[in-house]
Amino acid sequence: MTGIRFFLVTIFSFITLLLSANGGDGDYAVMRIPLTLLKHANAVKRMETISFEVINKGEAILRKKFAITVLNEKGDNQAVFVAYYDKLHEIKNIEGALFDAMGKELKRLKNKQIIDVTGNDDASLIDDNRRKIHGFFYKTYPYTVEYEVEEKYNGTLFFPVWVPRDDEFFSVEQSKITVKAPIDYTVRFKTFNFDTKPTEENDKSYKSLTWEIKNLLAIESEYAMPSWLELNPAIFLGPSAFEIQKYEGTMKDWNEFGKFINTLRQGRDVLPSNIKQAVHQIADPVTDIKEKIAKLYGYLQKNTRYISIQLGIGGWQPFDANYVATKAYGDCKALTNYMYSLLKEVGINSCYTLVNAGRKARKVVPDFPAQQFNHVILCVPLEKDTMWLECTSQTLPAGYLSDFTSDRYALAINDNGGKLIRTPKYGVKENLQMRHITATLENDASLIVKSKASYGGLQQDQYHELINSMSKDKVKEALHEELDFATYDILNFSYKENKSQLPFIEEELDIVVSRYATITGKRLFIVPNVMTRTYRKLPNDSTRKFDLDLTFEYKDVDTVEISLPEGYSAESMPQNVIITSKFGTYSSGVKLNGNKLYYYRSLEHFSGRFPAAAYPELVQFYEKMYKADRSKVVLVKTEATKGF
Amino acid sequence: MKRIFLISFFTGILCYSVLAQDKLKIKFGDITEKDFAPKAYAIDSSAEAVILADIGTSEIIGNNKGWFSLRFKRFRRIHILNKNGYDIANVSIYLYTNGTDEENLDKLKATTYNLDNGKVVETKLDIKNNVFKDKIDKNRVFKKFTMPNVKEGSIIEYEYTIESDYLENLQPWEFQGGYPRLWSEYNLSLPDFLGYVFLTQGYRKYDINQRKQRSEVYRITDSRGTGATDFFNLTSGVSDYHWVMKDVTALKEENFTTSIDNHISKVEFQLSELREPLPPQKIMGTWPSLTEKFLNDEMFGMQLGKENNWLKDDVKPLIVDVSSPLEKARRIFNYVRDNFTCTDHTALYMRQTMKNLVKTKNGTVAELNLLLTAMLRYADIEADPVMLSTRSNGYSYALYPLRSQYNYVISLALIDGKKYFLDASEPRMGFGYLPIRCYNGHARVVNKEAIAEELLADNNLEKKNSIAFLTVTDKGSISGSLMQTPGYYESYNLRNRIKEKGKEKLAEDIAKALGSEYKMSNLQFDSLNKYEEPLGVHYDFEYENSGEDIIYFNPMLGEATKENPFKSAERTYPVEMPYTIDETFTLQMEIPTGYEVDELPKSMVVKLNEQDEGIFEYRISKSGGSISFRSKIKIGRAFFMPEEYEMLREFFNLIVSKQAEQIVFKKKK
Repeated sequence: MTGIRFFLVTIFSFITLLLSANGGDGDYAVMRIPLTLLKHANAVKRMETISFEVINKGEAILRKKFAITVLNEKGDNQAVFVAYYDKLHEIKNIEGALFDAMGKELKRLKNKQIIDVTGNDDASLIDDNRRKIHGFFYKTYPYTVEYEVEEKYNGTLFFPVWVPRDDEFFSVEQSKITVKAPIDYTVRFKTFNFDTKPTEENDKSYKSLTWEIKNLLAIESEYAMPSWLELNPAIFLGPSAFEIQKYEGTMKDWNEFGKFINTLRQGRDVLPSNIKQAVHQIADPVTDIKEKIAKLYGYLQKNTRYISIQLGIGGWQPFDANYVATKAYGDCKALTNYMYSLLKEVGINSCYTLVNAGRKARKVVPDFPAQQFNHVILCVPLEKDTMWLECTSQTLPAGYLSDFTSDRYALAINDNGGKLIRTPKYGVKENLQMRHITATLENDASLIVKSKASYGGLQQDQYHELINSMSKDKVKEALHEELDFATYDILNFSYKENKSQLPFIEEELDIVVSRYATITGKRLFIVPNVMTRTYRKLPNDSTRKFDLDLTFEYKDVDTVEISLPEGYSAESMPQNVIITSKFGTYSSGVKLNGNKLYYYRSLEHFSGRFPAAAYPELVQFYEKMYKADRSKVVLVKTEATKGF
Repeated sequence: MKRIFLISFFTGILCYSVLAQDKLKIKFGDITEKDFAPKAYAIDSSAEAVILADIGTSEIIGNNKGWFSLRFKRFRRIHILNKNGYDIANVSIYLYTNGTDEENLDKLKATTYNLDNGKVVETKLDIKNNVFKDKIDKNRVFKKFTMPNVKEGSIIEYEYTIESDYLENLQPWEFQGGYPRLWSEYNLSLPDFLGYVFLTQGYRKYDINQRKQRSEVYRITDSRGTGATDFFNLTSGVSDYHWVMKDVTALKEENFTTSIDNHISKVEFQLSELREPLPPQKIMGTWPSLTEKFLNDEMFGMQLGKENNWLKDDVKPLIVDVSSPLEKARRIFNYVRDNFTCTDHTALYMRQTMKNLVKTKNGTVAELNLLLTAMLRYADIEADPVMLSTRSNGYSYALYPLRSQYNYVISLALIDGKKYFLDASEPRMGFGYLPIRCYNGHARVVNKEAIAEELLADNNLEKKNSIAFLTVTDKGSISGSLMQTPGYYESYNLRNRIKEKGKEKLAEDIAKALGSEYKMSNLQFDSLNKYEEPLGVHYDFEYENSGEDIIYFNPMLGEATKENPFKSAERTYPVEMPYTIDETFTLQMEIPTGYEVDELPKSMVVKLNEQDEGIFEYRISKSGGSISFRSKIKIGRAFFMPEEYEMLREFFNLIVSKQAEQIVFKKKK
């Protein structure tokens, strides 16, 4: 709370300062900002006018002007202007100006101050992305920057997305978007959290739609909040008929969009004859269709690798199958198209499928057909089942999607067009981790641990990455950095992958943990939960605003058996813990039997959407688990022999 | 310590005679089935790819612009053993450009070989369509390609030539890197009329190190003029150097390293002079001659040498009512730091004029600190720029005046006979303090005398002090308060975190470390905006006693060292910590009412080594109704040899375990 009070004080102090100043205030004078917009804000968007003009179905112009007042140092990043461009988007002009707190113009942007750098982020071997960057680097707060940019779209596959409040701690005084198009051109749109009707203006040849919004207060992001689009006013705009580099399409529904993707792929599935031969050699002797697919997928993984080359239309159109066959590499589009061609050769029909990939990717809006995707995978519909193939991976089991693409909408392309479907979800049953530890506590308090674990579903993803992307030595080094012990050595470790549509990985670890227990005179302190501890603690936030959106569900089961040195008896044993909540169930317990300590733990963590009011319960849930997972057994030496 | 170490690898390694071949019989395209046989190599059985041969040749040639060029040829053969080695098939070749004249990549040839049914199958790189150019910025261009048809077990080969008109860009050679190399060879032919300084580093000796003399005629033409082409012939002695390292293992970056680049085996070159029959010219002269060049450079010292009366508007108001030179300097420093944004922390020269910098308010570290120097001088304070190489940029040699080794500029002010090193490029760095990156040994003052300075991590002490008092409340609970002065760099990091994330986030972290049995309150920071002082941290806490029979109490509270910073079991190169350490934690507490001490941890004192370079003290005692406790960690040296790694690791292991110990209070019967 002290922070907020402090903040308000500073605001009031500069406001009084401003009021005492004499006249001549410009439009961007800080004192014109409504007080409510200053709350929680590091920066305020003062105005924004976006105009998107469709010239014809192959060309459009975007004009954007905006002004942002930066209130403090944390808002500085809002004042840096960045514009991306590539072969399909040209930047025509950039203007900029800087204003002081009174709204007085201090200086204007000079073109030579704009930095032009590559936009290639090393994820691609080569692409044509570039960035233009400019900043005024002013440090007397508050100040205002104003920018104006004009961009030419060579192709209309993409329309802008309007999200006036696009960051936390950021408020919006006013923002407006106008979309203008020839009278016979239909612009599609969908609004989110915003029900104002657009104002329409028509003349003989053009019509336009305008939306405006005012006074959006700053919000602060919260743990596991729903996606930004669910919480903020936004408008998606989309083309009807469009053209990109001479390829034409329409976007009135997903099926039409699918047809366009097909035109890009037209004639690109022809395999060279040596590959055809190889494919038949592999697939023909196999009768089971799933096995056929798995074998061919294995062939793809063995003979190609992922290389991203994105130049012009190449960002949307796959390299043809012959290219992949001769070069043995390709990006997601090329490799998926290649796998499609391999399957086609043996009479298996599959669908080139667009997804928006990423663990925290923006969810695809199902009722607004548009290019909302960033990745391509292959979907193979079978009689009773569907098999999914991630063609850029060298190592994933056939039929398994990791959390990179699972549980979301995807656009499957078939011969006639496209259809929106969902990728598989991996639930509590699949995401199972089981661990059994047998350990011996030595007299010097070090613990010799033998751990056998099995990781299933999404819980195996990181181990899959680890063992497939590193040499054995490096895996050992990584394990040496990652386990949650103060000082330890790994004597032995092994991993066994069970590759299937629902894969799991078995792990064996032999570790010596130095001074695992604490011995103080006659007492011995030991945490019986050796390896599976909840690390998360959530802040006690009494003013939770947004729903909780928990996407990952899983189950962990642990058993531990520790042999202790002779001659100790229990002084303090942790109570058994059972927690039942709407977020999951947890139980743990420990008992001493002779010189053996037995511990068990079980956690089932649910996913789902929960109201904001349930947040304190989640905090408590983690809090209790955190404590229980670290509770110590205290033992005392039965005969009082001193020293160590 | 560092100096001793540098010498040790020149002399300390046993020489063993090499009887084997001194040339590798290898030719582009000469691949047979047998070459595919190894599935792993003895040098590193888990390597993803092994560089079978890496051979470079650099020579000087006469060009048609009436001068000389460099010609660098490289050949590489690599065996890719598994999928994780595929990255080595993506090749980026760096070319320098001054904006108009780019170094020229030529004669690129690249082929992948696979074994298909016992036969070697070749796939050539399509040079015309599959070599891409990525223009990173004004001076850097990368030519990129990826090898076609790469599979597990593929052998790839590529070779290319780079011709360069920039004689100062004689290509360095890395004998070591991220992949093991069976044969790494560099051949260098230098005519007597060009002088280069060789800079060699690493822990390996050459397996072959030869130098032969011969003579060569250099042919130079000049067709740039309007008239006929001029021809020159120049005969000169030539030295042919031939260096080979065999079976070089890979090196991996670990914690507490300045830069892995400081440790790999490599050789670099610096153009030092032109000799007869060319017009003799010292290019790399003495230190004073180098600093003189800097001082006369339009984009460095020229702007310092001027009267700079235009600084009046900025400087005068800052110092109008101040007489103490130290206070003047401080105000000017704070002004530059607080009003200018550093956009690039790697820069040796200015890229804009100082006047322009004052307008744009943003610039490189060189620009900001040169402006600072100019402003200090304008206020009659003796100040000079200092150039240095940051920790990640690698060591610089005090011996050789090599411009290219430096990437950073700070300022040195001399006030009342005392030196103040200043860096105005970091928003919350105090007057007289430098970011850790600057502590990398040699630094050079850019003035007439070109004085050498040493910025050593060993002289940089991070001193932390914490005091906790605990008393028993009327209700029987334990209530306490903690006062802490973190070391300067910890304070600096905390200030940055508070600015970025806010105090609340920091309070959460502290509460988490303290543990859920404590209630934390009243967190305060002193000196939050006094950047020259360490931060003061203060908070209260309460331990609620619900009348348990036994209370287990760790006297370190939330301040115990919980992890050993030295994770790896082994270390092959030195540990370079950024500073030395002196940490004291003191606690004074009343024994809870109704309880008695059943057990106290044992006091102990442990020395890091016999030279007393580190000590860990854990002292605890009971007297009457109270307990006094003190834990102290002191490490007086920042640089440790690989042989000392085990000792360091064990030292911290002991600290972690000792600081986990608990006091046991038992209810009086």
